[in-house]
Amino acid sequence: MEKIPDQLGYLILTEDGAVLESGGDLENDERVATIITDLISLSNSIDPVAYDPDEKFKKITITYDDHWFIICISNKKIYVVKRNIPTSSIDNVAVNV
Amino acid sequence: MEKELDKVVEEIMSTPNVAGCLVADHQGLCLASKGTAHVDSAGLIVAISEQACKIEPNLKPPTVCLETDNKQCLIQRHGTITGAVFKQKGVA
Repeated sequence: MEKIPDQLGYLILTEDGAVLESGGDLENDERVATIITDLISLSNSIDPVAYDPDEKFKKITITYDDHWFIICISNKKIYVVKRNIPTSSIDNVAVNV
Repeated sequence: MEKELDKVVEEIMSTPNVAGCLVADHQGLCLASKGTAHVDSAGLIVAISEQACKIEPNLKPPTVCLETDNKQCLIQRHGTITGAVFKQKGVA
């Protein structure tokens, strides 16, 4: 998890939200862990018309201006990574303007 | 007032790969919906955006993206209004 490019922090949780591993900005961050497990349980019951009942989300991303959180579930564990959004692309726009 | 909102929803629906669109207020009441977006999901969509806002309460509300293999649901809050766009993926 530490090797992910632009990584600012990470969490590995059990399905009930207990922190198994953590690092960086999210080290032992149980507040974020609780919010994310609640978010996953909410997303499980979204739109029955747009999504088939057997269609489960495979990835959730939460994007802020300069960083984003990526959430995936694998092997009954929840993986959360906080990543930086490089400002180089924003700088390029500024130069062009 | 509704005409303006309907116009925005129509505009979003005319964007390529958009299958549905929903707008709700802060109480989770549906203001407009079109396509595959179901009126009953309004409360849930607002709850998801509120939950995401709790991660960084001092920053402006984030965009939440829920992805399956071939679909995407984008949720963004603006003031008291929350919008959701249901998209099909992969068809370029």
